[in-house]
Amino acid sequence: MAITQEAYNALESVVGSEFITNDPVLCEGYRSGPGGYESGTGYERVMTKLPKVVILPRTTEDVQKIVKICNRYLVAYLPYSTGFYGPRSHCHVENEVLIDMKRMRDFEIDDKHWYSTVQPGVTYSPLQAECLKRGGYVVVGGGGAQVSVVANMICDGWSPLSLRIGFPHRRILGLELVLPDGEILKMGSLAVHDDAFWGEGIGPDLRGMLRGYTGVLGCLGIVTKLALKVLPFQPEELVPTGISPNTGLALPTNRIKWLNFQVPSKEAETQVMYEIGRAEIAGAVTKVPLFWRAIAKAEGKEEFWDIWGLENEDTIKNFHIVRVLLIGFTSEAQMRYDEAVLDDIIKEVGGVMRRTKQIDQSWIKNADSAGMWLMCGAYVSTDYIIESIPHADTHGPSYANLKAQYTPPFMPDYGDPGWTMGCECGHQGYSEYLVYWDPDEDTNRVDQFYVETSKMNIRERYYTSLLGSHQPLYLTGPQYGPNYHDWLLKVKGEFDPLWICHPPLPLAHDEFVEKAEWMKEIKDWETPEKFPMPKW
Amino acid sequence: MENDRFDTPKKKVSFEVRDLSNFVYDMSRCIKCKGCYWVEHTYMPGIKFTTRCPSGTWKEFDSYQAAGKVRIGLAVADKKLDWTPKLLEVIYADPLCGACDVGCKRNLDLEIGLSLEALRIQAVKDGAGPMPAHKKIAQNITDTHNQFGSPHDNRKKWLDQGISVAEKADVLYFAGCSGSYTNPEIAQATGKILNASGTPFMVMKDEWCCGNALYSVGMIDEATELAKRNIEAVKASGAKTLVTSCAECYRMWKVDYPKMLDIATADLGFEVIHLLEFADKAIGNGSLKPTKEVDLRLTYHDACSVSRLCDAWRPWKGERGWMGTIEPRYQRRRGTEGLYSQPRNILNAIPGLTVVEMPRTRENAFCCGAGRGTKDAFPELASFSASQRLEEVKEVGAEALVTACPFCKNNFSQTSKANGEEVKVMDITEVILASL
Amino acid sequence: MNRLKNVTLDVRYDECLVVRQYSEVTASVNKKRRGARLEDKENERVHLKGGEQMSTKDDLASIVGESNVSDALEDLVGYSCDLSMHPPAMADAVVRPVTSEEILGVINWANRKNIPLIPVSSRTHFQGCTIPKQGGVVLDMVRMNKILEVDIYNRKVRIEAGVTWKQLTEELDKQDMRVIMPLLPHSERSVLTDWLEREVPTNTVYDYGEPMQSLEVVWPNGEIFRTGSASVKGYPEESKSKGTNPSGPGLDFYRFLQGAQGTMGIVTWLNLKIESKPKIDKILFAAIDDLGRAQEFLYRILPRRIGQEVLLLNNVELATILADKWPDDFEKLRATLPAWTLIVVVSGLVRRPEEKVAYEMEFLGEVLRNEFKDVVLTDNLPGFPGIGKKFMSLVRKPWPKEVYWKNQWQGAAHSLFFIAKPSATPLYVKIVKEIAEAHEYALEDLGMYIQPIEHNRACHMEFNFFYDPKSASEKALIKSLSIAAAKELLNNGAFFTRPYGDLAAINYERAAGYTSALKRVKKLFDPNNIMNPGNLCF
Repeated sequence: MAITQEAYNALESVVGSEFITNDPVLCEGYRSGPGGYESGTGYERVMTKLPKVVILPRTTEDVQKIVKICNRYLVAYLPYSTGFYGPRSHCHVENEVLIDMKRMRDFEIDDKHWYSTVQPGVTYSPLQAECLKRGGYVVVGGGGAQVSVVANMICDGWSPLSLRIGFPHRRILGLELVLPDGEILKMGSLAVHDDAFWGEGIGPDLRGMLRGYTGVLGCLGIVTKLALKVLPFQPEELVPTGISPNTGLALPTNRIKWLNFQVPSKEAETQVMYEIGRAEIAGAVTKVPLFWRAIAKAEGKEEFWDIWGLENEDTIKNFHIVRVLLIGFTSEAQMRYDEAVLDDIIKEVGGVMRRTKQIDQSWIKNADSAGMWLMCGAYVSTDYIIESIPHADTHGPSYANLKAQYTPPFMPDYGDPGWTMGCECGHQGYSEYLVYWDPDEDTNRVDQFYVETSKMNIRERYYTSLLGSHQPLYLTGPQYGPNYHDWLLKVKGEFDPLWICHPPLPLAHDEFVEKAEWMKEIKDWETPEKFPMPKW
Repeated sequence: MENDRFDTPKKKVSFEVRDLSNFVYDMSRCIKCKGCYWVEHTYMPGIKFTTRCPSGTWKEFDSYQAAGKVRIGLAVADKKLDWTPKLLEVIYADPLCGACDVGCKRNLDLEIGLSLEALRIQAVKDGAGPMPAHKKIAQNITDTHNQFGSPHDNRKKWLDQGISVAEKADVLYFAGCSGSYTNPEIAQATGKILNASGTPFMVMKDEWCCGNALYSVGMIDEATELAKRNIEAVKASGAKTLVTSCAECYRMWKVDYPKMLDIATADLGFEVIHLLEFADKAIGNGSLKPTKEVDLRLTYHDACSVSRLCDAWRPWKGERGWMGTIEPRYQRRRGTEGLYSQPRNILNAIPGLTVVEMPRTRENAFCCGAGRGTKDAFPELASFSASQRLEEVKEVGAEALVTACPFCKNNFSQTSKANGEEVKVMDITEVILASL
Repeated sequence: MNRLKNVTLDVRYDECLVVRQYSEVTASVNKKRRGARLEDKENERVHLKGGEQMSTKDDLASIVGESNVSDALEDLVGYSCDLSMHPPAMADAVVRPVTSEEILGVINWANRKNIPLIPVSSRTHFQGCTIPKQGGVVLDMVRMNKILEVDIYNRKVRIEAGVTWKQLTEELDKQDMRVIMPLLPHSERSVLTDWLEREVPTNTVYDYGEPMQSLEVVWPNGEIFRTGSASVKGYPEESKSKGTNPSGPGLDFYRFLQGAQGTMGIVTWLNLKIESKPKIDKILFAAIDDLGRAQEFLYRILPRRIGQEVLLLNNVELATILADKWPDDFEKLRATLPAWTLIVVVSGLVRRPEEKVAYEMEFLGEVLRNEFKDVVLTDNLPGFPGIGKKFMSLVRKPWPKEVYWKNQWQGAAHSLFFIAKPSATPLYVKIVKEIAEAHEYALEDLGMYIQPIEHNRACHMEFNFFYDPKSASEKALIKSLSIAAAKELLNNGAFFTRPYGDLAAINYERAAGYTSALKRVKKLFDPNNIMNPGNLCF
C-alpha cells in the first residue's frame, strides 16, 4: 500500500523535516546490497527493496508515535540500527518505512553495579571504550565493534570472550520494547522502576520474546533501550598503537596476554579447550580457521591468496593452533596462577607455545569482522551455535564436508572445519562455519547450500543457530521442539496481527524459497498452501 | 588449487578517475561496516567524539556516509538516478577528507576515495556539476590565476617583509593562493623559517593556483591543464624540492598532479614536501633552533591533506579476475604516510609549550570541513564540522588550536568567533616563528 | 484405594489442624468450584454443569493407573496447605504420573473438562503456589524422581522434576561434583523447581549465573516440547546435542517458565550445569556492624573474583542456622553473634588449588591492610569456635534436619525477598525496621540475609519474620507488616522478581504494561487457564 501524503505528513510531524525523507537519492543510500553480510546472494536480490521513507527518531516516544502512525495508515516498517546484518535488516516489501535509529545514542554506565544502559544507536566500540576506562569490558560480538549493541544483544553476540559468560541473552538486563502495535513493554526492573539494573521478569520472563538463541530480527517490535551486563576486567590500560591498517591495543602483559599454542592433534585442541574451562582459568580460548591468520598477515587480497595458495588439505588437517587470552582479573599473582595451570595443560597434550604478538587487533576493542570480506568479496556464517564441546567437535567438519560439494563457487578452504571455542568455562563449546564466494559468480548454489545446511543439521541431529527467520521456518519448525514454529507464529500473530513490523519475517526465507526458481529443486518439505500472514 | 578455481573472465581496470566504471567493483563491495564513518575502533575514545565522517555526522542519513554514497554511486554509474539538487548535495557536501578511504582500507582493498572523486568528475562530465560557487571559483582561476579573483599582480605582496629570496635555489617555496592573499602571515612565517634555517629558497616566477579548487570539484580537464603548466614551471626553475605550507597545495602537487598525468609521485621530477617535513628535519639536524619560550597550552589538528590523503601516488592499470584479485600487484595507499610525527616533534622541541592531544588524532582526526570545495558551496557543513572539532579543543582545555593548513585555520577561526569562543587558532609556522 | 504419602513434613502443620479447618472451609470452597460438587468422600460422583455425570478419578485412572490417582481426603489434605500463610484450599483429586505422556494425557483431559491442574514437584512448599486456589487436580510428580544422566565430561546433569536436593547432592557427591545452590534449601524441595523459580545461589563467582540448560515441558495446551538444544529430534540418545544450550528454539521458551509458579507449563526434566568440587576451602568470617561498610568491601573484592560462596547473615538468621539445642543455643547465639556476619569461602579448584587460595588470600590481605582496616576478616569468628567447620558442613548441602531451619524457632517464618542494589540495603533495613516497629514486631526477632550476585552487581535481600503458625493474630500481623514493607521497599527501588502471594497484586498493578503483555502470552500457551490459576496475575 503506497504511503499517502497524510501518512508522510504525520510522520514528519514526529521528527521534523530534517529527519525524514522520501527522496529517491537518499533512499538509494539504504539499499541492502550489493555488498555486505549475506549479500551477493539470491536472498538479497530477491527479497530486499529500497525503503520508500527513511525516518530518524531520537527518543522512544518518537519510535512509538512512528509505529502508531504506521499502524493507522497500514504502512509496513522495520527497525534499522546500523544495517550491518545484511539483507535481513533491510526492507523486504515495497512502500516500507525504514526507521533508522542512529540518532538514539543515549548512554549510561554504572561502574559500581557493572551495567550500561544504551539506546540502539550506540555501537560496541564506544561502549567498550567507556567500559575499559572503568576497569570493565563487554563481549564485543563477532559481528564487530561497529554493530549496534542493542541489535547484537537481541540477535547474536558472542566471541571468544564468552569463555566466562557464554550466552549473550544472559547479559541482557532491563529493557524497553515498542510492540508492533505501538504499545510500550518494559521488561526487568524497568517495568516498575526507572532503572534497568535487573532483567528478570516479575514472575515469568518476557525476555523470552526477544530471541531464541538467535534473534527474531526485529519482527516482534523495536527495542529502544537496553541495559546489559558489564564484566569486571583488569585495571591496566590497553594503549591503542599503530597506524591503520596495523592498529591494535598494546597489552600490559603483567595483567593480560594472548598466547598461541601449537598442539599435535584435533583431539589435543579439544582437550586444551576443555581443560581450560574445567580449570576455570583464562578469559578466552579459541581455535580459528587457518585462513583468518592469513588475512591477519596479508597486506592485501592478492597477498592473502599467495599465503593461502601454499595450503592444502594436509596442512589444514595438521593445523592445530589454540589461542588463549589470559586476564589477570584479580592480580598479577592470579595471572601467574593461570599461566602455570595453562602450562600444565599444554604440557599434558604435548603442545608448544608459539611466538605471539602482545597486541590485540581483534576481540577486545575491535572484533574485526570486516576482514572476512577481504578474500572473495562476499561472506556469510552458516551457523554459529553454542552447544557442547563434543557437538562442536563434529559440527564444523560436517559443514566442511557438505561445503566441498559446493566448491566452487565457494572459496577453496581445503576442508577447514571453521571456528571453535569454549564457553561458560567449558560447559559449552562453540562452532561457527563461515563461507566465502565471489558475488559476481553464479550464486544460486550459495542459496541452495545455505538451506542444505539446515537439512544437514536436521538429518545429523545437530542444534543450530539458524532457526526462526534465518531459514525456512516450515523446514526447521517441525524438526525442533517439535513445532517451535507454531509458537513463534502464535506470538507473532498475537502481538503483530497485521504483520506490519518487518514483514514478512519470520516467514521471509520461506517466501524466498517460493519466489526463487532455483530454490524449487531443493524444496522437499511441506508448507501450507497459504502462509498465515497478510500480503504486503 | 586449480580445480577449485573457476574461470572468471578478466576485466581491464585502472584507477583512472575519469572513468567511473573503474570503481564499480569497489562501490559494489562495500559491506556497510561503516569503518568509513566511525573513528577506528582501536582508537575509539568513548561515547563522545565517535565519528570521523563530517558529512555523515552533519546529516545523519546513511546516504551522507560513504556506505550510502557508494550505493548511490552505483546507481549513478548505472544511470538509474537523475542529477537532482539532492544528488549533487550528497556528492558535493563532503570535504573528501579521506576518513572513509582509510577507514575502509583498514580491512579491505576498496578505493573509496577515488570512487568519490570519480563521482564528481562524472557530475561535471554530465553537465550537472560542479556547484555554482565552484564555477565562480573556477572562473576566478581562469581570470586571475587564484581562487579569490584578486589581482594576480598582488600575488607576491607577502614578500614585502624583509624575507630573503634567492634568484635560484634547490628549494622552491610554493606559497599558494591562501598564503599569497588571505593568509600572508603563513607565507611570511614560512619565508622567515626558511631564512632562519639558512636554506636558500626561490619562489615561482609566475605562481598560479595549484588547481585544488578545480580538481576537487571534478573539473579534471581544467585541473590537468593547470597541473601541466605548473609542473613545467617548476622544472624550468631547476628546483629539486618544492615546499609548501598549505596542506591542500601539498596534496595537489604530491598526489593529484601525478594522478591526473598518470605518473607516479616519484616521477614528477622534483620532491614535494610540506613545511612540516622541512622543519622537523631542520630541527633534527640543528639548522633550525627554536629557543624562545612560547607559553601556550595548545592542541594540534591533523589536517586531512597532510595525514590521510598524502600517500604518494602510484598509478595502476591491469586486470581484475578471480575473487577480485588484480594483476599486476598494487601496494594500496592506506594513509600510512601521513605527517603525524613531524608536527609533534616540532611542537615538542619548542620550549614552554604544553601540547595536549584531542580525543581524535592522526588518521582519526575530524576534518575541519572546509576543504575540497566544501566551504564555498556548503558553508553550513564547514561550520558544523569545525564546531565539532572545537568541542574537542574545549574538552582538552587547550587555549590554542594549531594546524598546518590555511583552510583549516580560517574555518576554525571564523567558526570559533561565530560561536563566541575564545580559542586562538594558529598555523604551525606561526608557532615555530614565535620560538625563533 | 491407596493412601498417598502425606506430603507435608512439618508436623506443626499436621493433618488434624487442616482437617479441623477443612470442615470450615469446605462449604465456601465448594461454592467456588466451577460446576463441580463433591458430595462426600465416599461419593465419587462429580456433577458438572449441564448435568453430565463423569468420574474424575476414573478418567485420571485411565491415564495414570488406578493406584496413582486419589480423591480421598487424607490424600488431598496434604496439598491443601503448606508452610506459607496462604489459607488452605482443597483439590478435587491428586494424580501421580510417571511419564511426560501421562502428564500430556492429564493436561488434555483438564482442557476438555476445564479443570485446573496444580503441578507439584517438591515434598514441601513455602510460598503457597501449590495450594489449589480454584480447586482442580494436583499433579504430583513425586514418581518422576530419576536422575536421568550425570555427564561428568560436559559437567551437567539431567534430572526429573521430582528429584530433590538431598537426592541430587548425594549422587553428585559420589562423583566429586556439585551443583551450586541457594542457601540451605529444604532437602525435599525439587531442584528443578527451585531453579525454575530462580532461587539465588550462594556462589557469586560464575559470570554465567543460572545453571539451567535445556528442558522438557508439557505445555498447558497439550504439547510435549523440548527447549534449547534438547529440541533436536531424537534427543538425547539419537542426537549430537547434549542439551547444554537453554536458549531457543526460535524463542527463549524457558524464560516463560521461570518464575511462573507452575502457571505456564509442567516441566518434566531439566539439564543443569554442575561444577567440580573445590579441592580446598578456606572459610573466612568478619563481624560487621555497619552494613554499608560491608557492602563497600564487597563492591571492592567481588569484582576481583574473590570467593566461591559469599554471603551476609544477621545474627538472628545465623543463629537459626547454627543452633543445635533449642531454644538455649539459639538465644545465646542470637545475643552474642555480631549484628551481621560476612562469610567468604575461598576455594582452590581442580588444578593447583593451594596456589589459587594463596593468590586470593594475598589479594584480600592487601585490600584489608590498605583500604579496609576496620574489616577483620579471618578464618575465625571470635567467640564462636568451630563455626567455620560447622558452616562448611552445611553450606553445600540441603538442610539436614527434619524441621527446616527457618521454622525451628517459632514454627514458621514468612520470607520477604527481592533483588536490590547492594548499596541500597542499609536503607531497606531501615525501612523494614521502621515498619516492623510500627507493627510491634520486635526488631531483635528480625532475620536478614543478603546474597551478593555476580560481582555484587546486585543482591538478593531477604527479611524473615518468625511467627507461631497457630496464632491467627501473629499471622495477621506478619501479613500486614509484610505488605506494608513490600510497598515501601518497592517505592524505594526494590525489585520483586518472585511475587509470591500478596506481592503479586502489588507488583502487577504497578507494572501494568508488563502484566498486560504477560497475560497475552499466557493465553497463547494456556487458552483455558487451567494451569495453576490464581497465582501471579492469572
